[in-house]
Amino acid sequence: MAWQSSSKATNIPSGRTKLILACVLATGFLFGACGKQAVRASEKEFLADRIMQFDADGQETSADEHILSNREGSAGGRGTGGGGCGCN
Amino acid sequence: MAAAVAATRYDSRMKRSASFLGLAYMALPIVLPALAGVVAPSSLAQAHAEDRVDSTTTWYQEKRKGNLGGLTVVHPQFDIGVDAGDNTTLDIGYSADAVSGATAAVYSTDAVSSATTFKDLRHAATTGITFYGSRSTLSISGNIGSERDYNSIGVGASAKVDLPGKNTALALSYNHGFDQVCDFDNGMATALERRPLTGQQACEKQKFLLGKDVAGDSVWRDLSFDTTQATVTQNISPSVVAQFGLYGQVARGFQSNPYRRVRVSGVEAQEHLPDVRGRVALMARVNKYLPSIKSAMHAMARGYTDTWGVNSVTLGLGYSQYFGNSLLLRTNARIYQQSEATFFKDAFFYETEGSAGEYFTGDRELGAIRNIVGGMKFSYIKFDENGGNVLGVFDEVSFNLKAEVYLLDELPADPIEDNREGIDRQFLSSGQAVDAFTLQLGMLFRY
Repeated sequence: MAWQSSSKATNIPSGRTKLILACVLATGFLFGACGKQAVRASEKEFLADRIMQFDADGQETSADEHILSNREGSAGGRGTGGGGCGCN
Repeated sequence: MAAAVAATRYDSRMKRSASFLGLAYMALPIVLPALAGVVAPSSLAQAHAEDRVDSTTTWYQEKRKGNLGGLTVVHPQFDIGVDAGDNTTLDIGYSADAVSGATAAVYSTDAVSSATTFKDLRHAATTGITFYGSRSTLSISGNIGSERDYNSIGVGASAKVDLPGKNTALALSYNHGFDQVCDFDNGMATALERRPLTGQQACEKQKFLLGKDVAGDSVWRDLSFDTTQATVTQNISPSVVAQFGLYGQVARGFQSNPYRRVRVSGVEAQEHLPDVRGRVALMARVNKYLPSIKSAMHAMARGYTDTWGVNSVTLGLGYSQYFGNSLLLRTNARIYQQSEATFFKDAFFYETEGSAGEYFTGDRELGAIRNIVGGMKFSYIKFDENGGNVLGVFDEVSFNLKAEVYLLDELPADPIEDNREGIDRQFLSSGQAVDAFTLQLGMLFRY
């Protein structure tokens, strides 16, 4: 049992390590789900809708970021605009 | 009114370079030459650019304790985008921050009693050029900002490429900010001897955007930002799209609030923060369309960590619903929680124990906090489905009205049972269920 106690004492990850690990795993899992099913151009009607676009209102996004970054210690990582319709 | 000392006020200055990033995608310069090859055939591509005029005004109102009124911010934004040929768009923008309210001069167990009032006005301008290819865009942008005691200049670039099949889009961005912060000329004083800026100092400038030192009075301290972001946007199915992002930033230079004092072992010294801060964030979000009821669901998650010891998690949900062809309602809710920086202490412990190593701060945003935001947005969108004009001129006209409420909670950073003074008065938050709200009115014209 002694080796088990020792192992626990030395291998418990810190809060930050857990956070990074969780994010990496989540991202990896989500990336793993990508690209398995191609969407044909004829199937992109819903993807092209404005409510499917990320940050469709650039000024709203900018103002929100402005407020939140002044009320929170973190900043950035809120993504980029556009959507996946590929309409460009 | 005393020229004032503003915790909140300075925070907005220090972080504004990051806020500008939302205005344009920035790109890693190293990849731009490679991407230029993708963009080059754009002369053969169809026209992508579109003229637009976009204006939004945001009113942020926060309550304050102790009959001190509130913090009020009015943030107008105005952007114009015009075609410069079939494949190029030029953008210019202007925004301002008119800020007034109360702020604590000294971070202590009773910050409320030391509160003073202040007013401030900031102007900012952006410009950019975007080149559109058949499967790619390349943007280059710049921004400037100026107020009495802070200057900022930023340059950046971004690139976005749709992979074959147009189900995957990759975006890269990079931005560099050259900022300057006005500070009291403390000469060679040690951290606990440093005096704060009071608003009486000159903070002189030359050529509008360059600080000029005045010996014995005020000096300008450099602060730079290097920010990069990579995102992947992926169609998962005909009704699901997801985006994943990795963000990093390094800030170097003077990052303390020059106005803020912290009571440390009986001494009220200027806040003292590390000169370097590295940030990393990972983000994922997904939109799901519900064709049967013409609506969409939105979800997002973000994890963040930095070299000051702040770790945070953000979770968000949203729902968009059409009513007829022109009305759109979106509701959203978001919860955020962060841990305190390694050198942050509740005010009682700075006063009784002293600083945590070399550094000390009274910044609420470096403490342990939990914020909840909820709101809704109404949009009226008008366009001719047959390709005609609206009002005889525009391709599309939209009006937006958005309202949100904020629940801002401070959490104890140290053992609360040992803190005889508590944390209720160390910041100027409202102490009520709803601490702040925003109202936002926007208009967009495409033509």
